Amino acid sequence: MSSHREAPAISRDPVADNTDLYAFVSPDDPGTVTIISNYLPLEAPYGGPNFFEFGSDVRYRINIDNDGDGDADIIYEFAFETQVANPNSFLYNSGPILSIDSANWNRKQFYSVTRISRGRRQVLGAGLACPPCNIGPLSTPDYDMLASQAIHTLPGGRTVFAGQRAEGFYVDLGSIFDLGDLRPFEQLHATFGLPSLAAAAGVNGTDNFSVHSIALKVPMSDLTRRGTTPTNVSSQDSVVGVWASASRQAATVREPWSEYVHEAGEWLQVSRLGNPLFNEVLVGMGFKDLWNSLPPAADKRFAGGVQHPELAQLLPVLYPGVFPNLAKLTAPRADLVAILLTGLPAGIVPGFQNSTGSTLADMLRLNLAIPPSSKPNILGLIGGDPAGFPNGRRVFDDVVTVELRAIAGVTYPLVNSSYTPDAAAGAVTDGLTPASVNVPFLNSFPYLGTPQGGYQTAPLGTV
Amino acid sequence: MSDSTRRGFVKNSAAAAAGMTVVGALVAEQADAKAAATSGPVVAYVRDPRTGEISVMAGEREVKLQDRKIAARLARAAK
Repeated sequence: MSSHREAPAISRDPVADNTDLYAFVSPDDPGTVTIISNYLPLEAPYGGPNFFEFGSDVRYRINIDNDGDGDADIIYEFAFETQVANPNSFLYNSGPILSIDSANWNRKQFYSVTRISRGRRQVLGAGLACPPCNIGPLSTPDYDMLASQAIHTLPGGRTVFAGQRAEGFYVDLGSIFDLGDLRPFEQLHATFGLPSLAAAAGVNGTDNFSVHSIALKVPMSDLTRRGTTPTNVSSQDSVVGVWASASRQAATVREPWSEYVHEAGEWLQVSRLGNPLFNEVLVGMGFKDLWNSLPPAADKRFAGGVQHPELAQLLPVLYPGVFPNLAKLTAPRADLVAILLTGLPAGIVPGFQNSTGSTLADMLRLNLAIPPSSKPNILGLIGGDPAGFPNGRRVFDDVVTVELRAIAGVTYPLVNSSYTPDAAAGAVTDGLTPASVNVPFLNSFPYLGTPQGGYQTAPLGTV
Repeated sequence: MSDSTRRGFVKNSAAAAAGMTVVGALVAEQADAKAAATSGPVVAYVRDPRTGEISVMAGEREVKLQDRKIAARLARAAK
């Protein structure tokens, strides 16, 4: 998955598990940038009675690098507090929740937003209410109204939302994790001597699940090094690097015969996310937990996995005869390094750049001077749409297909014009599109769709 | 926390891995004055008793001490 359960340690700590990160120029408010950081993978909407919530013992952060060194220059920090109105009740709610301050809602969450820059901490908002989870027609009869009440205006033209949203990342999990099977092409899979498979349509493995999102919309000038609103696409000052993270305190102590848990010490990072699928696909199993603890500035040590991705070596084996040129490609993948670790410099794609310099750092890089597309292409830059991934990431971008094709060699000619990608490299996909997402995306903040209600959602079926 | 509870806790905690975590007055009375002044619990982490390096944590603060005597005393208490 993008970064759901992508490393051994964080897969056991879902409230701190970064799942997806989006950053894009707001299409309905082009002077601003929207950044959405998701946590809590694969929430089944009916997962009560203790429905999903942020961790009050976790510090969530959205980090901005605006000088290209892979360290955070601006941090937005989110700290949550849970309030239980009636600890003697086992109920999440004792009646319909008709507003987010409803007395019927027994377990509310509130949060603060703090902007940290140059050592200065500025509290932008405190006591901000989250919406409840979407439970069903009796408990949350007008969920969109509840969610709208949880959109808060912050000083300086900023807007924030934190709460449950529909999962927007679409991927055929069941197929891909079954030895790299891609249903539309599975008739070509080696199958390891097992019976062959017939090509089939992709299945969206995350459909109808929910996540918990922190969505923040800020003026561009809130992010840039000089506090300006960029207009020059070719200027490096127009590019910011974005990543999200979650931290826990260093020590946890439990006491016997007690519900008391004491936490103390510095906040230490346990999860981070820049580009989708980076830690999941390009970092070895034995190093994923380490990667989660480090800042992007330390990513040089992981460059080998980008230069020689394991998946690029596997594709010709899993699909015999389909990727002959990729099989012969042994040179370091400078194309992937540029896309994922430095940004693409000027002169590679006409009229485009999102370089942050020479520091190797996994960040979602967004050139703020590139306006939103009036006709977005879900394949982003490789589909001819510079407003999409890997220039930031929009909620509907097909990052699985983009990264599959890039790893399969379709982007290697950017750095070596003599290389001819295999025909399959430009066609490979898990067979999904935004139409595979049952819940539609929104056209305005917070852009991710309304989470499914627990009552309205059927348990998983079989294909 | 009663003395008997604390001793049991220290014993149980020390079984884990190479490091050792203990709670409370054992360390607080000898630790950095600022850390000891806190009203909440204090956590001490001795990563390696031989070096004497102790991390003392209270709230969001973390102070590093170098004290082989305290580290050795804690190690003995954990046996």
